[in-house]
Amino acid sequence: MTPTVDVRGLLWTLIRTDFKVRYHGTVMGFLWALMKPAAMFLVLMTVFSLIFATDPHYKLNLLIGLYLWEFFAEGTKVGLTALAAKGYLLAKTRLPRWILIVTAPSNSLLTLLVVSVVLLVTLAVAGPRPPLVCVGLFVLLLVQLVLIVIGFALGTSSLFLRYRDLNQIWEVVVHAGFFLAPIVYPLGIMPQRFHVYLYLWPPTPIIQYARMLLVEGQVPTARALALLAGVTAVVFVTGLLLYRRFAPAAAEHL
Amino acid sequence: MTPAVLEIRDIAKAFTIPSVRRTTVREHIFGFFRPRSHQRLQVLDGVSFDLRAGETLAILGLNGAGKSTLLKIIAGVYSADRGTVVARAPITPILELGVGWNGDLDAVDNVLLLGTLMGLSLRQARAAIDEILAFAGLERFANLELKHFSSGMASRLAYAVAFKAVREVLVLDEIFAVGDLGFRARCEARYRELRAAGHSVLLVSHDPKPVIEFCDRALLLDGGRIVSEGSGRDIFEAYVRLGG
Repeated sequence: MTPTVDVRGLLWTLIRTDFKVRYHGTVMGFLWALMKPAAMFLVLMTVFSLIFATDPHYKLNLLIGLYLWEFFAEGTKVGLTALAAKGYLLAKTRLPRWILIVTAPSNSLLTLLVVSVVLLVTLAVAGPRPPLVCVGLFVLLLVQLVLIVIGFALGTSSLFLRYRDLNQIWEVVVHAGFFLAPIVYPLGIMPQRFHVYLYLWPPTPIIQYARMLLVEGQVPTARALALLAGVTAVVFVTGLLLYRRFAPAAAEHL
Repeated sequence: MTPAVLEIRDIAKAFTIPSVRRTTVREHIFGFFRPRSHQRLQVLDGVSFDLRAGETLAILGLNGAGKSTLLKIIAGVYSADRGTVVARAPITPILELGVGWNGDLDAVDNVLLLGTLMGLSLRQARAAIDEILAFAGLERFANLELKHFSSGMASRLAYAVAFKAVREVLVLDEIFAVGDLGFRARCEARYRELRAAGHSVLLVSHDPKPVIEFCDRALLLDGGRIVSEGSGRDIFEAYVRLGG
């Protein structure tokens, strides 16, 4: 459909509206968004830092894994239901559907950006100070993570209108995926032969490479980065193809 | 004859209705070996007409005649199975008043939201806030959350935004008759201004007043086809006869 709206203005208005509706009138405002991952971090740190007491960077690794995971989990969940949640717009207005999908995870994206900035500043001040090239590659990892979430949302939000239990299925996958990704445990405790399978789950390479870059100050191999770029491209393009196939008839399935 | 701003050619649209509706993965898996029958409902079947520049054209028809489906295809909400819609000017579709409202936001934020949804740029929407609130007579309630508005107040605000967002072609689906007498008079005055300014309007209505008073021409839709065409008054009478 040809855009007949001011795309930038509408994107900004929808993002601003979602933010305002979610946090307006709450005592702590946006800080609520940080409470859930912070509480989760405290609980997991209390329990697991005792088990992995020999790892000097365990807490930092846990923090990085957890907040990246939180964006992936929340972003994909709200992205999957994006079109259904705004079905009233889909059925009555002439606007490109993708706008509704890409703005859906905006609150999660804001949390991701705020925590990333705080994390990078803290690392720069208190150490371990990652080299600039590592910071640059970490930003690239964040871009890939966002593309994976948006690609997933593009593909599944139209399908959700036809299969209304996809969100419940995805909820189960996300619960299992939390333990599949090396968030609370170091990947090294898993037998080497399983690593290749664990890396097929997109959050795993993102989290592992982010830790390598920020905690160890090491750059992943070119092959590893290329593979991740390939996974990102496959998820995004698949999502785009599903979107192009199913989104035009989305209003007929509301 | 003025040129057409909207050319509708041979539009057809059918909906497939299954005997059992399956909307979940679970239902599809468990129902895999239980085949369903499907019924095809032909809603539109070869509809063609032109909307000329500056013209107001009404589409009439009984419930289920395909009027709203036709407007949704013209608005780009549905895609047609067959046929083409050629728009030679920007379209503002208003298929429902106040669609996109958010009750937790105040009137100003809702004006920005609805305005940008209807095609205003954010800058235009910001610049028009005072004018829109004045048209709706709601200046005093600019910072009141919409959930505290009466339905009449909300409709007036929706109308005011819609009238501000109008582009060259206006497509309206049953949105007349809201507000008190004073507000209706303001709407009619604004509507006459739009006509005088050369806007084209395609409207669906069951209300005789806008059809007879404002429309240059009207079409009667029945069974997914145009069955007659003429003046607003003639077609409204044909529509009443059709309804028995």
